[in-house]
Amino acid sequence: MDTKHNAAVINDMIRRYVAGAADIKPQDWTEFVAAQNDGYRTGPEIGEKVPDFTLTDQHGKNRALAELMGPNGLLLVFVRSAHW
Amino acid sequence: MKNLKARGVNVASISYDSREVLRAFADTYKLEYPLLSDVGSKVIRAFGIFNTNVSEDNQMLYGIPFPGDYLIAPNGTVRDKVFLPDYQYRPTVSELMLRNFADDSGATAVEVVTSALTARISLSTDRCFPGQELGVALKFSLRPGWHVYGQPLPDNYQHVDVVFDGEIVGRQSFEFPPARPMMLKALGETMPVYDGEFRALGKLGIKWSPPPEVKFLGDSLGKRIEPGPYKLIGTLRFQACSDEVCEPPQAIRFELPLTLEADAPPAASKAD
Repeated sequence: MDTKHNAAVINDMIRRYVAGAADIKPQDWTEFVAAQNDGYRTGPEIGEKVPDFTLTDQHGKNRALAELMGPNGLLLVFVRSAHW
Repeated sequence: MKNLKARGVNVASISYDSREVLRAFADTYKLEYPLLSDVGSKVIRAFGIFNTNVSEDNQMLYGIPFPGDYLIAPNGTVRDKVFLPDYQYRPTVSELMLRNFADDSGATAVEVVTSALTARISLSTDRCFPGQELGVALKFSLRPGWHVYGQPLPDNYQHVDVVFDGEIVGRQSFEFPPARPMMLKALGETMPVYDGEFRALGKLGIKWSPPPEVKFLGDSLGKRIEPGPYKLIGTLRFQACSDEVCEPPQAIRFELPLTLEADAPPAASKAD
């Protein structure tokens, strides 16, 4: 996994996209997605304990994992960003 | 979302965004669940899903995770997880619920009734975005004395099978339970059969639609799929036999309504 190469591909695509995307070809886009997904990892396995955490929510309130938990579980969704 | 609440499952999202960005986002899309701010991606790193392909000087993308969902049990362990590296398919929460809680209450369903069986085919949701993967639940009830076939089978028999087709259908897969071997006296052979009541679960990917922002790529990433009501067409194939007689193989068409929503930002679409 060549992270240096992946980083360069990713940076280059963002630059071109922001500049107006005129010259982006389908294979460039596919390469961009592949570079982002290289060495894909999915974290704790089924049955494994997840890391404990406390984070601030959108209202500024501290939320700990135990407090977020519902009686039958918690669906925790990792997204790349809320603003793009 | 109602499904989750009814099942006692809470929801929260995590991203590297600041509280202010999350507040604005939640307000715009009227999101009521906690949006957690992981500035610096500490928790993303702790989960082991920090995307190391992005360099620090990339202001937009640095800090992102490999995106996915965990269903965490009350004891803090992973009960299920859905991570799809293929950007063209995103999971629906309804599929996760169907798989984990046998919850088909969010379903649209159709029943196929024949002299030998009743088959109920349901989707985990009746609305989704192009590119999402739905759950499909199959519930079969064979009339007493009748059976259908599993696999593997000799060529001239039709094993029970559901296949969706049409322009918006992407990949699909079904998991049938193991069929039981039954000695069929009339044939003098042992074959894998299903009788009585049995269920199967499947996944159905709706083709991804390039969002308007990438229209510069033309059709090369796939045809644009407009939002609106669609009919998902499928075929149920099987051959039903009793102890004495076999019906000819059947291929019964059915349809299920599905509404495709207009494009929305990634985080909001996970709220299904």
